[in-house]
Amino acid sequence: MSVTVRVDREGDHASLAPTGPFDLAHATAVSRAVEASEARLSGCVLIDVDLAQLDRIDGAGAVLLARLLDRLDAEGRAGCVVKGDNLEAARLIALYRERRVDRPAPQTLPMSPLARIGAFASELPGKANEALDFCGRCGVALPKTAASPSSVDWRSLPRLMQEIGADALLVTSAANLLVGIIIAFLGVSQLGRFGAVAYVPELVVVAHLRELGPLVTAIVVAGRSGAGLASEIATMKVSEEIDALRSMGFDPVRWLVVPRCLALAITLPLLTWVGDALALIGGLVATSVIAHITTRAYIQATVNAITVEHFLAGLVKSPFLGLAIGLIACGQGLLARGGAAAVGARTTTAVVLAIFSVIVMSALFTFFFALMGI
Amino acid sequence: MEHVTFQVERGTIFTILGGSGCGKSSLLRYLIGLEQPGAGRIDIDGVGEPHRYEGVPPFGVLFQSGALFSSMTLAENLALPLSAWTPVRGPTARELVHSKLDLVGLGAFGEHLPGEISGGMKKRAGIARALMLEPNLLFFDEPSAGLDPISAIELDQLIITLSRDLGITIVIVTHELPSIFLVADYCIVLDKAAKGIVARGDPRKLRDASEIPFVHNFFTRSSPTASTKSGRVSQWPSRKATRDLASSS
Repeated sequence: MSVTVRVDREGDHASLAPTGPFDLAHATAVSRAVEASEARLSGCVLIDVDLAQLDRIDGAGAVLLARLLDRLDAEGRAGCVVKGDNLEAARLIALYRERRVDRPAPQTLPMSPLARIGAFASELPGKANEALDFCGRCGVALPKTAASPSSVDWRSLPRLMQEIGADALLVTSAANLLVGIIIAFLGVSQLGRFGAVAYVPELVVVAHLRELGPLVTAIVVAGRSGAGLASEIATMKVSEEIDALRSMGFDPVRWLVVPRCLALAITLPLLTWVGDALALIGGLVATSVIAHITTRAYIQATVNAITVEHFLAGLVKSPFLGLAIGLIACGQGLLARGGAAAVGARTTTAVVLAIFSVIVMSALFTFFFALMGI
Repeated sequence: MEHVTFQVERGTIFTILGGSGCGKSSLLRYLIGLEQPGAGRIDIDGVGEPHRYEGVPPFGVLFQSGALFSSMTLAENLALPLSAWTPVRGPTARELVHSKLDLVGLGAFGEHLPGEISGGMKKRAGIARALMLEPNLLFFDEPSAGLDPISAIELDQLIITLSRDLGITIVIVTHELPSIFLVADYCIVLDKAAKGIVARGDPRKLRDASEIPFVHNFFTRSSPTASTKSGRVSQWPSRKATRDLASSS
């Protein structure tokens, strides 16, 4: 059956007769029929809505008829429901009319690109303030931790080291192995043009031990553990677990952030060291396969190239990179407000910031070592 | 659970009661089709077995937390089932969304995020979303849990309104005695030890007259009843008084 609203006019009096199914499944048709009938009511001041011919009605149909009557009332016209035998429909319409709340018109003005840039710029000082506040609280937490070791959740440290270190070993090892192979391939192809393939082992040692080993390991850990830590703490924040810690007198920075940062600072150098070893093996395999250099000669050249400076220049960075990942991940987690969406947003921000910051820190270390002649 | 057989009359408010761990929530998950019982059969009029049902959901569900999507405003939460299951869009959809928000008393909060409103308001918004597809049957999981007494009473009044004015059949899983006595027409009491239903009927009559020790303890343990020579006297407001209160609000 089709949805219609029949309009019978007699002078300034009109009678509306909705017919057909006035329900959610036909809501679009009902809306059109109601609008069409409304357009034919100009000049009418007395309007009856006769519900006798309604085939079916539910909340959706009742709302659309209720709003028609509301609009008629607002225009100073007298809309009246003729119930007939359809008491259910009349009751539904009355309910939705009773419960109606006037709302202010929504402000949906879109922001111009310039306004967006301005809004972003205006947020920067607040964000910088939040970051500095968090760093300050972490700085204050360290001496307090030394003074009161029981304020830190030391029991979680082995679990965190397992999750951040041992569980990540496979993926960081694979990444470093492949980077070693890539460096060796590049070295053979480029140095080979000058007959300098013998220098490939030294290239792998210097490039990987000093720079790429710590960097690649830190990036993998930032993506993996940084996301995990940020989402864990953000979830604790939105589910009021952090507030519960505070209410019990715990400092969330000391209880949560310190063990996580410590776990990262301890495990990242270990992962880097294992990664370095695998990168050297990758370089050996790649060079042996594509260049005329014996395994013995490669190992001898590698051993000669490894110096304490190269080895330590890389490993010294790792705890600081781990610390940066931990601080950023935990800081972003603690800034979460709202619900599940905030957890996702903070996790994404944490990973992006952590990866960017380890690259920047690595570059700063390189610059510093170059200045110091190390 | 092994011995659970019951029938819900159309248009009534039916409650499933029991202590912790008796299987109330599992029973609800079977009823709304999220899980399939290992044995037995559930038959909802017009739906059949809920776990096999495909298409427009024929019933609405209010989960314990409201289960609103935190990244969406209340209006967007309500519009979601409309956009998924009906061709209604644009101004008509907005009108339907706001009418449901008005119905639950949240007309002014359509543009708010769930994180910006109270627990009671989240539950009411959850009810509004459950009503969007005009179901004839609503399931509530612990509707009063975690609410302050005023919010809990307001929610009970809303449940009575939905049953009385919209004619919706309502099934509530709860152990909140004040709510049960205010809203329920009929109840079943589950017991973990009995692995099923140990009592059924009007909760007020069960409270006052049940001879089963478990049922008697269940209803009187936290119920403010006073013993007199003539028997136990309830201090809860009567169902009629509550309904009068709901209609006056």
